[in-house]
Amino acid sequence: MSTQDKVPVTILTGFLGSGKTTLLNRILSEEHGKRIAVIENEYGEVGIDQALVINADEEIFEMSNGCICCTVRGDLIRVLGNLMKRRDKFDYVLVETTGLADPGPVAQTFFMDDEIREEFTLDGIVTLVDAAHIEQQLGRSDESTEQIAFADVLVLNKTDLVGTDGLDTLEARLRDMNRMARVVRSEKADIPVETVLNLSAFDLDQVLERRPTFLEPEYPFEWTGVYSLEPGRYELTLEEGPDPVMSLVVLADQGSDDAGLREGAEWCVRRYALTADAVEPGAEIPLETHVSLQLQSPGRKSFFLQVDAPVQVGLYAQHTAEEFDMKLLRADEGAEIPVAVERTWVAQHEHDDEVGSFAIEREGDVDPNRLNAWLSELLRERGVDIFRMKGFLSIAGDANRFVFQGVHMLFDGQPEKPWGDAPRLNQLVFIGRNLDEQTITSGFDACLV
Amino acid sequence: MSGLIKDSPRGVLRSGWTGSVGDYVIAGGWACNGALLIVCDAAGGVFGFEGTSGVVRWKDPGIHKEGALAMAVHPGGSLFATSGQDGRVLIWNAEDGRVIHTLELGSGWVEHLAWSADGQWLAASISRRVHVYGVDGVESWRSEDHPSTVSAIAWAGSTELATACYGRVSFFNATSGELREKLEWKGSLVSMTLSSDGNIVACGSQDNSVHFWRRSTGEDSQMYGYPGKPSALAFDDTATLLATGGGESVTVWSFQGDGPEGTQPGVLKLHVLPITSLAFVHRGRRLASGARDGAVIVWSLQGDGDGSMAGAAFVGDVVAGLAWRPDDRGLAAFDAGGGVTVWRVGNR
Repeated sequence: MSTQDKVPVTILTGFLGSGKTTLLNRILSEEHGKRIAVIENEYGEVGIDQALVINADEEIFEMSNGCICCTVRGDLIRVLGNLMKRRDKFDYVLVETTGLADPGPVAQTFFMDDEIREEFTLDGIVTLVDAAHIEQQLGRSDESTEQIAFADVLVLNKTDLVGTDGLDTLEARLRDMNRMARVVRSEKADIPVETVLNLSAFDLDQVLERRPTFLEPEYPFEWTGVYSLEPGRYELTLEEGPDPVMSLVVLADQGSDDAGLREGAEWCVRRYALTADAVEPGAEIPLETHVSLQLQSPGRKSFFLQVDAPVQVGLYAQHTAEEFDMKLLRADEGAEIPVAVERTWVAQHEHDDEVGSFAIEREGDVDPNRLNAWLSELLRERGVDIFRMKGFLSIAGDANRFVFQGVHMLFDGQPEKPWGDAPRLNQLVFIGRNLDEQTITSGFDACLV
Repeated sequence: MSGLIKDSPRGVLRSGWTGSVGDYVIAGGWACNGALLIVCDAAGGVFGFEGTSGVVRWKDPGIHKEGALAMAVHPGGSLFATSGQDGRVLIWNAEDGRVIHTLELGSGWVEHLAWSADGQWLAASISRRVHVYGVDGVESWRSEDHPSTVSAIAWAGSTELATACYGRVSFFNATSGELREKLEWKGSLVSMTLSSDGNIVACGSQDNSVHFWRRSTGEDSQMYGYPGKPSALAFDDTATLLATGGGESVTVWSFQGDGPEGTQPGVLKLHVLPITSLAFVHRGRRLASGARDGAVIVWSLQGDGDGSMAGAAFVGDVVAGLAWRPDDRGLAAFDAGGGVTVWRVGNR
């Protein structure tokens, strides 16, 4: 049976009060075309009549061999095993876990049980985060940490209860813990349904079709300020700061909501990849161009911006406005333009979370024998602490890209399409507890041809 | 299965009749001494087919809301019980398809049913509990919650009920509720069968093994190496042979002599997809196997567990269950597409 015939399953995790039931009800009320079966582990209030709702107690079954990757969720095997006898009645399954659920056994169930693997495919793990309370929860419980580490999508919910600075700091911390997950913000779990369903996050055939990288971008800018401007000439002033130059992209028609900011950020990441045009003090800053502001001279520097029609602009700056006391003024009267919305993208300080993620990116080929030996040993010794991994490899002598993923010690890999003219390279992403980036990276480097 | 031709049974299997119900067949069994075949489906329907012609004598297509989960025919053959996701157990009169007793067990799935061999008691499991009823539908005992959902039940004697759940098999006196024995094994037990004398307990485990205990001696053994989860298990009537699924082969352990420890099992290979159902005849060493490949094979077994094919047929969809007629001269197969196929069975 091909993946296309299998029923996709989305796992919703998150602490009690993070908004799982709200999101669930939202999905059920919006997805009119889909027949969704819901497996609830908490007695939530699914208020949608047409959904097939099954309540089940979470039952975690360890095996006699003591191997943690063999630990499965017995309740899911039982309920899904029965659901598959009624395939004509539904075409999507949502599993809502309890707040304290460990996502490991949930994910493993879809790899370890033959009958489940035959009929269902794990589409993705969505973790809801209560923005107001997650900081406390992360300090107290392993479960909340693991729910973040396992996620394909992190929904930062209840953002109305937290200030923008707090959200930015929190998002940076979560990104440190899980570089694979897409982060979205919401007030009442009011996110578009397509951001959480049909992700094919565990489908090796599709995952590279959708995105050429497993990594969410690490933004090359630290700060974005959004300003509403009337037609006219504007002056951008910077005091002395930590760097003699600063990269900047000014984007027109910038949205001020979360989606608009992320869209702008994605676009600017690509602009940042181009070589910057040097702009000297007193000169004009062109719109939608990667520029490098030249800040070597002492004292305040001014740059200029011409606006011909009312517009909202986004300034994507390499440093925060604070670091250079950067201000936007009307050039004629010198009045400061208040920033409408600002967003900080990069962590201001290192967190000491035990759980973290990192990536290895290397050009060239790997030796299959050395790689195999290294990976086997790594999974055997550190599999307990590696929550998830994903990547693609360029194997010496093989014309095809090799894609793989893993949950703890479970490893799943297959050859994908040929490299063709594309540059051969390797990318591996690890998420886990107390992983030693240096040791793992040098272990991988030793496998390079 | 290159040697088999669809729709044309071979060997001891002879064409009989075919019928259909509304959905995936959950369970089926013979009643009224083989005059009636009872079938229930995933849509919650219960059907009574004439045993010889396949004509539907009576039906109730959606009586268990959200689907049926189990069916068990009373040893006397004139009554049967069904259960479902609606949390109910129904006791029926087989002859006319009339519900005699409706038992409400609570909210939850009633997944397993079993009549005691003497027909006095009906056991039903719902989530972590078991309930025991008399033929009159009066509850005689209900258990406390087990540590996890009850995954199988079976009668070990006229008043002794065995239950399996994660990590243990428990034996209760079904009238007093006394816990008589507890056999522990750290694993998720997904299936259970008992020898007819109640001495040997065999369980399939989620970790692709079969564990069994001899209650008389207290010995237990673990059979590893299955490629899949052994969810189908069957003892022959003399408790000499234990047939197990857990992959594409049928593995048959023989309890002759000091076995099966230290012996090689019979490995019966013809199916090309995992085994879903196994059923021994009531008397003798014929075994029927059904698999995801849609094939049903009848095997002739020896005392050491080895055997050869005696007959075969295709039903065209995943085999969901098998039932020998009480006289062993008929075999019914139920499938995932709602199909019911009955063959006459010859001597050779």
